[in-house]
Amino acid sequence: MSVDYLLHESSVGYAVFSVRMQADTVGARLKEVQEAHTDLARFGKMVQLVSFAPFQGASQALENANDVSEGIMSDYLQTVLESNLPKAGKKEKKEGHPGRIECETGETSELAGDLLRGLRLHAEKLLKSLQTGDVSRAQLGLGHAYSRSKVKFSVQKNDNHII
Amino acid sequence: EREAVAEVLAQRVDRELHPGVFVARGKEDLLVTKNLTPGEAVYGEKRISIDTPAPVSGDAATNGDSAPMATKTEYRVWNPFRSKLAAGILGGLEDIHMKPGSKVLYLGAASGTSVSHVADIVGPTGTVFAVEFSHRSGRDLINMATHRTNVIPIIEDARHPLKYRMLVSMVDCIFADVAQPDQARIVGLNAHQFLKVGGGVVVSIKANCIDSTAPPEQVFAREVGKLREERIKPKEQLTLEPFERDHAMVVGVYQRSG
Repeated sequence: MSVDYLLHESSVGYAVFSVRMQADTVGARLKEVQEAHTDLARFGKMVQLVSFAPFQGASQALENANDVSEGIMSDYLQTVLESNLPKAGKKEKKEGHPGRIECETGETSELAGDLLRGLRLHAEKLLKSLQTGDVSRAQLGLGHAYSRSKVKFSVQKNDNHII
Repeated sequence: EREAVAEVLAQRVDRELHPGVFVARGKEDLLVTKNLTPGEAVYGEKRISIDTPAPVSGDAATNGDSAPMATKTEYRVWNPFRSKLAAGILGGLEDIHMKPGSKVLYLGAASGTSVSHVADIVGPTGTVFAVEFSHRSGRDLINMATHRTNVIPIIEDARHPLKYRMLVSMVDCIFADVAQPDQARIVGLNAHQFLKVGGGVVVSIKANCIDSTAPPEQVFAREVGKLREERIKPKEQLTLEPFERDHAMVVGVYQRSG
């Protein structure tokens, strides 16, 4: 099964990539194929950035992180996908996103996994508008915000001792 | 606390066991890491301050009017009875797959006491993604991370790595101390998602948590087999005696090809 589009969800925003070349299932575990994913020069030829939609501020990033963790498609993500994927057919596989409405179940093959790993590894280089350190700074802020909200809204908050 | 620092001031830090992990020589030898936030202890551990002789550079020698500045380096004592990783290091692990600049995914971060030492090891250019599910210890973890900006706290279930996929990059090493019966599967799921090809896996296995009826050696062997199935090639295995009973530490390398 071939993969047409990839969705990369990161702390800085959503990025849609189209797949230009991919390994076949039989060769996926070959050393050469695996090395191609690790090498930015070669991986850069396999995917092409269609669009990068950054988050406008920390609160939007947190909302989207919460939605992604619950498997919900946020309005923002829906807009991003609708404006960047061809309308006809609606058969494109949006990787990594077990979608809710229009899209089919996210593809979970090893091929897709390899491509998504490549995106995660090279994201900062593939998204040309980003500078080194942008992703990690955003991760730090988002990690704190996400974790704080988890702890705050905990139902089993059990250490509020009344003295 | 200031006295504690003064008391051990005479000690020397002279051996680097692994990049970023040192041994302080004194009345007794201590395992230490270089404090990322000098002047602060994380959980009441002892700190050791050492005078670092100023580097004699050619420039300083010619420029006589600026006296060479002696700088102080502060280390924090790492107790192997409280940290499995410290116990593993003292047990003689050959490669812990973390060094200054590394990105480490730490599963089972608890309150963050051991995580703080890993943060010392990877230093300001590295990152520790610290995953902990319990909200109670999660609060302490978040607190610790506010002082150490190379730690990203993630309060989430390590069984579902996709839930925190927006918060994590590709990492050089996964350390796991989750004490769950399906630990090998948890490690595998995270490795497939986030671990670089050739990245290290360091897992602490508590035999009791996996199967309390089988002999520990059998449990360890089974767990190593499960790690193999997750394409983690085992390289080292040791028990954590005398610091922990019926615990093993397994180190492997992630291989996606083949």
